[in-house]
Amino acid sequence: MEQRLANTWHMTINEKKFIESALSKNIRVDGRSPVDYRQLTIKFGREDGSSEVQLGETHVIGLVSGQIVQPYRDRPNEGTLAIFTEFSPMADPAFEPGRPGEFAIELGRLIDRGLRESRAVDMESLCIVAGKSVWAIRVDLHILDNGGNLIDTANIAALAALLTYRKPECTLGGENGQDVVVHDPEVREPLPLIIHHMPVAVTFAFFNEGDAMVIDPTHKEEAIMGGRMTATLNSNGDVCAVQKAGGDGVSLSVITHCLRLAALKAVDITSKIKNAVDSYNTARALRKVKRHNALVAPDITVPDSVMKGNQIGQLAEHQAQKFKEESTKTFDTETVVGIPKETVLFNKKNINFIRKDSDSFIGGPSNWDPYSQSIPPTFVRSSQIFPGSSTVDHKKEARTMLIESNSEETKSNNASSGLSRTSSMSQQRTTPKSLKDAVKPKSERKNRPSPASAAN
Amino acid sequence: MDGQLSAPTQATSLFDQTVIPGDIIVDLPSVANLRVGSGLRQDCFELLAMKVGTLRYKKPNKYWLESSHKRYDPSVEDTILGIVVGRNSENFLVDIKSSSLALLPVVAFEGGTKKNIPKLEIGSLLYVRVVKANHGTNPELSCTDASGKAAQFGPLKEGYMFDSSTGLARMLLSTPTCPVLQAFDLQRFKIVIGLNGRIWVNASTPSMVVLISNAIMASEFLSASQQANMVKELTDQLQTRCSVR
Repeated sequence: MEQRLANTWHMTINEKKFIESALSKNIRVDGRSPVDYRQLTIKFGREDGSSEVQLGETHVIGLVSGQIVQPYRDRPNEGTLAIFTEFSPMADPAFEPGRPGEFAIELGRLIDRGLRESRAVDMESLCIVAGKSVWAIRVDLHILDNGGNLIDTANIAALAALLTYRKPECTLGGENGQDVVVHDPEVREPLPLIIHHMPVAVTFAFFNEGDAMVIDPTHKEEAIMGGRMTATLNSNGDVCAVQKAGGDGVSLSVITHCLRLAALKAVDITSKIKNAVDSYNTARALRKVKRHNALVAPDITVPDSVMKGNQIGQLAEHQAQKFKEESTKTFDTETVVGIPKETVLFNKKNINFIRKDSDSFIGGPSNWDPYSQSIPPTFVRSSQIFPGSSTVDHKKEARTMLIESNSEETKSNNASSGLSRTSSMSQQRTTPKSLKDAVKPKSERKNRPSPASAAN
Repeated sequence: MDGQLSAPTQATSLFDQTVIPGDIIVDLPSVANLRVGSGLRQDCFELLAMKVGTLRYKKPNKYWLESSHKRYDPSVEDTILGIVVGRNSENFLVDIKSSSLALLPVVAFEGGTKKNIPKLEIGSLLYVRVVKANHGTNPELSCTDASGKAAQFGPLKEGYMFDSSTGLARMLLSTPTCPVLQAFDLQRFKIVIGLNGRIWVNASTPSMVVLISNAIMASEFLSASQQANMVKELTDQLQTRCSVR
């Protein structure tokens, strides 16, 4: 008993009286106005469907996963959505491990109602084979730190995770055409869920028998509040859910006032979530493009014997041509030439020098272009000084050319879909070279190492 | 044991340096009559660090560790702020942000006898002094100074209390006056700082109390000039808000 007393959080009478008297004058202890939210930060994990939301000191993680199950009998063509909450004891000394307490269940139910009854997540699109296979979407919310207002934070975490989750694409296949074939994310791009609107929860705390009201209460404010109300609205102003579980009674005018405030806050929070999700999606798309280059990366680490001076020169000259053609006019070749030539002597000694810098100036193949001549010293130096966007274009081009030339060797569909995208890109940019140039004549092909063996 | 003979040179190099638990501080036989302060422990012939902190040394023989934590380790003669959480026939049970509850004898007040026990409710905030602090037993407190006088100990009325780290509490109590408190010298307020990281503030208006508490909480990692600037900005903001109303 004594140990339990020692480990709980205690509030003094002084704090209670002070917070109440300050609120009667509309002053909050952290300096906010009664209708201000704390700072909201939304971050995402590496996998699709994982979000991390911080509202002031409150910290919640949301994870979305999907499984194929049999649908319910009364709804054979709809998927299912389930919310699970985990109140970690590290979040608050009052949280005990094991069975969820009353508040944990209330939080789960509230978020579930907001998403399900407002039909925010489209259930029919989760159906694969009516009556047999549907997607069961599971949202896990982990409470990491309780700084007050878990409901709003957990709701935002659930929304952010659902918006960034991608379910694997399924088709019907197999021998009888009835089996569900789940495609690997590497093979076919997974699909996002269809979310019609975003129900945002806004929590209000009442004090002094309904006289004072604040939005987004902190942990201390929650400890002394008389009552709590949560209103879930979307940015259109539609009310998705309202929850007021006991506590002090409030008049109807207060409730309508709260709903109006909640509508304003919902618009604000919706835009913040959308911005975060958009930047995550762009980062994800960029990552997808770069992933193709991973196929080519082993090529860089070729041993000395394979790399010959003139072949490096050929490659570099090719790059130099591109560089000069497409480089911006902001720098003169004269300034480049002005670099003392002693520093850039091209002889056999510098082969290693170039190879070390291969990460910086090119991620492409070492010796495939038969059409270029030896490397100009100016290019080597300039590529180090001006690693601008123009070099990025060259890298992509070199890689696309290599991918195209190796298209027969790679079997993955992923690469091919990537090819069609990148080849269209390269076709737009390439002026002097065409696709034919990328493919070497058969007689010369045997001598080149394939990407698989080059890695050895 | 042979390795320890080289420790004296090791010790001098560690002064004013950050040490981590387990670091050997000094070779004992070479220094006589050692005074070991908080955060250090004697282990056979070695002096070990028990916490992460900066090692301090005062001539001729005082060693201690300066560290900052959220939890408090009681040590004798510290003045701290405790919250009453319970009572039995002999003691008040007081929470002092330590691993175990502390005991405050019901007679440990000025002129205290079994007949005039003060009425302290659960949730009262007290300014107390640590009398006994041994590992394994509950610490003991007192609301009097060594001679038995009240000397500002006892329950605190009104005002607002907030938590901070032990390092910040020490910084606020240091001399010369900490810059963040110095910046408020034109205002009137009362402040009680507990070495266990609890701070109580009272002023004439609630907005002043909120201002001071937030300024102190934000000042932990700021330099002196940054603290002064922050306080100035906050007071200006408050002025504009008051004038708008």
